Amino acid sequence: MTTRGTWLGGLAVAAILLPLAVPHPFVLTIATQALIWALLASSWDLLSGYAGQVSFGHAGFFVLGGYTAAITSKSLGLSAWLGVWLGALLAAVVGLAVGFPALRLRGHYLALITLGFAEILRLVAQNWLSLTGGPFGIYGYATFSGLPADPLLRRQALYVVVASLFAMAVIGERTPAGKAFRAIREDELLAATLGIHTTRYKLLAFALSSGFAGLAGTLYAYYVLLVSPTLASPATTALVIGMAVFGGLGTIWGPAAGALLLYGVNEALRFVGVVYNLIVVGLIIMTFVIFVPEGLAGVVRRRPAPRVRRSPPARSTDASRSIGG
Amino acid sequence: MWESLLEFLVQGIILGGLYALFAVGLTLIFGVLEVINIAHGEFFALGGYLVFAAVVLLGLRPVVGIVAASLGAFAVGLAVYPLLLAPLRRRLGRRPYGALYLVLTLGLSTFMQNGLLAVAGGEYLQVPPHVAGILDLSFTALSYQRILVFVVAMALLAGLFAFLLLHRQGLAVRAVAQNPEAAQAMGINLGRIFSLTIALGVGLAGAGGALIAPQFNVYPAVGLPLTIKAFAITILGGMGNLLGALVASLVVGVTESLAVMVIPSEWQNLIAFAVMVLVLLVRPQGLLGRAVVR
Repeated sequence: MTTRGTWLGGLAVAAILLPLAVPHPFVLTIATQALIWALLASSWDLLSGYAGQVSFGHAGFFVLGGYTAAITSKSLGLSAWLGVWLGALLAAVVGLAVGFPALRLRGHYLALITLGFAEILRLVAQNWLSLTGGPFGIYGYATFSGLPADPLLRRQALYVVVASLFAMAVIGERTPAGKAFRAIREDELLAATLGIHTTRYKLLAFALSSGFAGLAGTLYAYYVLLVSPTLASPATTALVIGMAVFGGLGTIWGPAAGALLLYGVNEALRFVGVVYNLIVVGLIIMTFVIFVPEGLAGVVRRRPAPRVRRSPPARSTDASRSIGG
Repeated sequence: MWESLLEFLVQGIILGGLYALFAVGLTLIFGVLEVINIAHGEFFALGGYLVFAAVVLLGLRPVVGIVAASLGAFAVGLAVYPLLLAPLRRRLGRRPYGALYLVLTLGLSTFMQNGLLAVAGGEYLQVPPHVAGILDLSFTALSYQRILVFVVAMALLAGLFAFLLLHRQGLAVRAVAQNPEAAQAMGINLGRIFSLTIALGVGLAGAGGALIAPQFNVYPAVGLPLTIKAFAITILGGMGNLLGALVASLVVGVTESLAVMVIPSEWQNLIAFAVMVLVLLVRPQGLLGRAVVR
């Protein structure tokens, strides 16, 4: 079994067993939120690590999902079971729309347009009082109905996250779409020459990635039961990119593991002081981009040194070297 | 009607002057290094904190504080290239790097912003106006503080342009912007020019933060909205185009100011981003830019 499979399998088993092994509300809450961040970081990785289209707007998709869930449940009175999918669907559709300019823009420009998109969403969330509740956000809506009242048994979010991570890993590694994504990341012109419909696959990457980011947002909304405009701030995107860079780009499980670890560090540092969390995040981003480009994934993969003589390394199919451009 | 129009126009031009100080530095850095400095706003905040420390804590005169803040931001900026960008550049070699630099400066931004938060706390610090008094034009009243911001901003930008046009090092900066390899072949030390360029750009941001501190207050995230707005401005003016950034700053400042007459002020910030998205879709090289393939 591959490293990837081992990691994801281990994660899944841990997620399923955790509530049984450590039936403590605090641990479970932390674990669930960490997994939601893992989903967001991995969704960023699908677009930016696999397809090489660097988004600075994932906070936007996340918040779009979260607000859709909160608004449909609060104003329309729809069930959370419906809201989860509505939020993810809307985020995917909007992601598709944001993806269109991406067909013409790359590198810096794409990053800036996605950043602008997230900022527009933040301003809308903050100022459209009648719909979004303004700066205080939305709270006081119902979460999933028909579940046991005991919060210890509400671990459905864990299953959804783990299933989504698996789905993304399969898309990235085992489907023609994943191959096309990686080909586009390595050399878009070459990919197009080889007959890959780059337009279609870039849009697909946008829709999938933003859909999963939106799903993370809806899960967050139903789990935390509060959405507010600060979630859409560039700090959220910075955190997510930090998690992904920390874990290792273009691996799905790397960013997920990076998110779990960083979130854990975050929670641990909460006892020291909230400020220091993000200082650490900033340091991690800088150190890893410069010195550990493959992230934790690379470190883990490198460790079992092969006894056989190494064949010359393949010419970079490594996301950490080829995103952007 | 005409009086208020004129009033908003003047306010807009003054606002545009501040934007220009910020955006010209940003676009200078991009033009020379092809790096979008996401941490630009943090240097603006740094300037604000330094002027607060000098004027409020040490009781120095405002002019000393402003100069010290600009030099402080300049000095920190000098370290950015050798410590952060050069190692990444060495690792990537000749490969295209684009977005990784964005991620790197995003890390710097997060680090600096929360570093300031850890050192100075999150309160909104107040700095007294650098100059007191109000100039009474018949249609509007302008505080000397606002006029000071605009005049000093324009003077600094004029100084920058003169430096780039006349000084040897300025010529070297422009040479590197045009063609780094050829500039290097002419004996220009690329690393030194890159360090100098970043320091100049963020030094201007620091000066801006110090100048405007009495109006904006000082807090760690003070530069963030400005950074994002400056991206819109630099795109509008054409990335790397200094004159374009100056013109676009004034255009955005005046537009925002006049728009208050039509749309509620809390939506004001949306204008710049809407313009940015529109320009990226229709004319990615910017209003004044030529189509360049690099």
